[in-house]
Amino acid sequence: MTWTVARKEIVSNLLSYKFFIVLLLMVLLVATSLFIMHRDFSGRVADYQLIRPEPGEPIAVVPPNPLSIFAKGLENAMTRSFEVGVTGIEVRAGQASGNIIYAFFPAPDFLYIVRVVLSLVALLFGFDQISREREQGTLKLLLSGPVSRAQVLLGKWLGNFLSLALPFLLVTLLGTAILLFDPDVRFTAGQLGRLGLILALALLYLAFFLSLGMLVSALTRRSATSVIVLLFVWALLVFVLPNLGTLVSRQFVHVPSVRALSEKREQTWTREVLLGIGRGANWADHMRAISQENDRMVEDYRLKFERLVRLSRNINRLSPAASLLDAATEIAGTGIGEEIRLKGEVVRYKNAIIDDIIADRAAGKREARYQAFAYRPRPLAEIFAAGALFDMAWLAVFNVLVFALAYAGFVRYDVR
Amino acid sequence: MGRTLIAKEMRAHLLSFRFLASLVILFVLVVLTAVVLTGDYVRKLDEYSGRQAEIDRYLRSYAHFNRIQNVLQPAQPPIPFLALVRGLTADVNMEAFDDDPLPVMFPLIDLTFIVTILMSLIALILTYDAVSGEKEEGTLKLMLANSVPRSKIILAKVAGAGLTLVGPMLVSLAAGMLVIILHPRVGWTGVDWGALGLIVVGAVLYGGVFCLIGILVSSVHRSSASSIMTSLFVWTLLVLIVPNLSPYVASFLSPAPSRIKVARETARLTDVDRDDLGSKLMAEYQGQVLKDYPVLAERLSEAEVKRRVAEDPDYRKAFEANRAASERAWAEANRIQGAKAGELTEDLRRKEEAQTGLARAISMVSPLADFAYLATDLSSTGTRNQVHFGRLSRLWGQAFYRDYRTKKVEDLRAKDPTADAWNTPIDMTDAPRFRYVEEGLAGRVRAALPPFAVLLGACVVLFAAAYVSFIRYDVR
Repeated sequence: MTWTVARKEIVSNLLSYKFFIVLLLMVLLVATSLFIMHRDFSGRVADYQLIRPEPGEPIAVVPPNPLSIFAKGLENAMTRSFEVGVTGIEVRAGQASGNIIYAFFPAPDFLYIVRVVLSLVALLFGFDQISREREQGTLKLLLSGPVSRAQVLLGKWLGNFLSLALPFLLVTLLGTAILLFDPDVRFTAGQLGRLGLILALALLYLAFFLSLGMLVSALTRRSATSVIVLLFVWALLVFVLPNLGTLVSRQFVHVPSVRALSEKREQTWTREVLLGIGRGANWADHMRAISQENDRMVEDYRLKFERLVRLSRNINRLSPAASLLDAATEIAGTGIGEEIRLKGEVVRYKNAIIDDIIADRAAGKREARYQAFAYRPRPLAEIFAAGALFDMAWLAVFNVLVFALAYAGFVRYDVR
Repeated sequence: MGRTLIAKEMRAHLLSFRFLASLVILFVLVVLTAVVLTGDYVRKLDEYSGRQAEIDRYLRSYAHFNRIQNVLQPAQPPIPFLALVRGLTADVNMEAFDDDPLPVMFPLIDLTFIVTILMSLIALILTYDAVSGEKEEGTLKLMLANSVPRSKIILAKVAGAGLTLVGPMLVSLAAGMLVIILHPRVGWTGVDWGALGLIVVGAVLYGGVFCLIGILVSSVHRSSASSIMTSLFVWTLLVLIVPNLSPYVASFLSPAPSRIKVARETARLTDVDRDDLGSKLMAEYQGQVLKDYPVLAERLSEAEVKRRVAEDPDYRKAFEANRAASERAWAEANRIQGAKAGELTEDLRRKEEAQTGLARAISMVSPLADFAYLATDLSSTGTRNQVHFGRLSRLWGQAFYRDYRTKKVEDLRAKDPTADAWNTPIDMTDAPRFRYVEEGLAGRVRAALPPFAVLLGACVVLFAAAYVSFIRYDVR
């Protein structure tokens, strides 16, 4: 019986103007986004060929991550080159473009399309499920048949979810298949698995918004009211809550600004260099002093920043959009956690070779060779343990909760 | 007649649930962001003065010309407008190892966000069924049965929706401003009020564009159910997609070389290549000096040279000629290699500028981008301000390095010609300090004119389209 209701929903969706618009939007956006982010990725690959260290150079660079086509996250920050010198780590080759317009608007990657646009689409599938049928009088007819309200609700959910998810999966898989033609985009089996996980997360997220739409539709008498409520709820969940979480957590954790840190570095450097000239003393000692002071600063900053990230992440979890963003970027390997770990590894690399570098430079050896930097992205198990699994489960709980509420609302719904 | 119609439209809106919901949401969010961002601004002020004090303390102990370039950098102080508009000032900074990636992931919300996302949504919600809804209810027929021209009806609908939208916006903005200006540490000046007034005008135009889109769409569709779909489709494209795609599309249409590549090449030109050329030229020039002053051929210790410069005027002349030759050689090498590198960077700059211009032009199709540009430029938090800041920094750089430093070095050399002017502690308390002054309102307004014009043009075109489409609307 549930299946009959679901089939009826799919058929009526297929014939509707709404479905046509949604399909157009989905195909247009997913295709454009994959195409454009793929070009962006190719640019990073070309840059990587340039900044890639020669054997022996004390430089840490990680190759671009092909999953960044789907979830760009902090990829720009992670593909910078970190050069170890006598005074510590210096960032070279930052900011890949002088086009300031990039800074104005967030990157339109696949994740953005799902998080912002398709969530709205999912709401539009759910917003009038019950109130419209009541307005049209078909709800009465439907319920007069031998079918329980639970079956009707489940059937409606299933039918709409399928009419949303199938075109979405089709377009995405097609786009991914086309991407695979590019030799630069070499997905390993593990990466394909991660992509599958991201898709699963996206489906969970879209299902949440569909259920939310049905919930509100079961609580309102008119679909015009339901759409208004939903649009506001959507704007709050997708835009306001994730940012407010970050702002609020900044009130509690005081992190020095990036500018303050870089000024401090310059001051340390200048002081030690001047002391060195003034006393004519041991150059290597001064370099060590600079490096140690920088280390202390970085350590202090990292501790505070990690606290800030943890707090803002926990507040942000109130919004499924933030949960999705965090979990999907972490799984793709472009998230905040991965970036923090990469920087930790760079610091470890620096600690391993800096004494040699200082000693070599003090001895005037110019052509010294150092061990290479190797970075292995976190394995999935670690990412899950660090919070992605929680985010995923949290999204699922949200889903079940909202659907249960929708059921409760529908059971009490006056169908007249 | 027109008044009656507008009054009817407004009354219908004011009594509706959507109006109440919009008012509450706008009010809560504007006040909330005003509170949070004001706190943020005050914290930034403290941080800024702390940083400046640190630099001052530093200069008192270690002011040497050779080593202060990196410590004495112009820095932009926080401006009061940050409590409303964040613009491009987010603390991202990819140049440093300790970066702050949170704003990259979660762009902060401010007045620009509230206007661009929420107000446009509210505008659509108020208007998506303006015509189709009345048709469905049958009131459109009744209205037209009286002697009311269609042009008046459509005009009244636009005016009614626009006025209804402006009300909640002004009320919540007034509450937000109250929060901001009542804070004892926020100094809000007359110029700021002027800029804010213009931003509000921009917001009204922006809201107007979306009211008109809603009315146009509703006068094309027969049912409000499909009209909301089309409205949201258009909204999604204009607000969520076009601006975000624009820089990527522009980089596709008007490519620029990668900065990394250019940096590599210029680094080679001005470092290794320059050193080779400099050494070559120095050997050449000093060889000529040696011919004129054979006394220099003697190998002396540093102390010996100092003693002879002080005692022997002939030797002093030779010493100075030699130093001049070396300085000339390096200046020449720097000039030649600098010119080569400059050409490369200039080419990069030109191409990037073309790309940025194109991206800006493409994005200006979207009213969201128009409003973002005009709000950030008017509030000195946008690209215009970055250029302005760059200009101020250059002026300060000239005043400090060209005028002040040259004078100090001359003073020092007049006292002691062998003194190492670069590595001697110098009292720099009288040095010119960098002072940031916001650009005058006139310049900011000039920068904001194109987006204003686009918004206004969009209003006119959309109104004409809505009018035509309503004239041809079948009211049955």
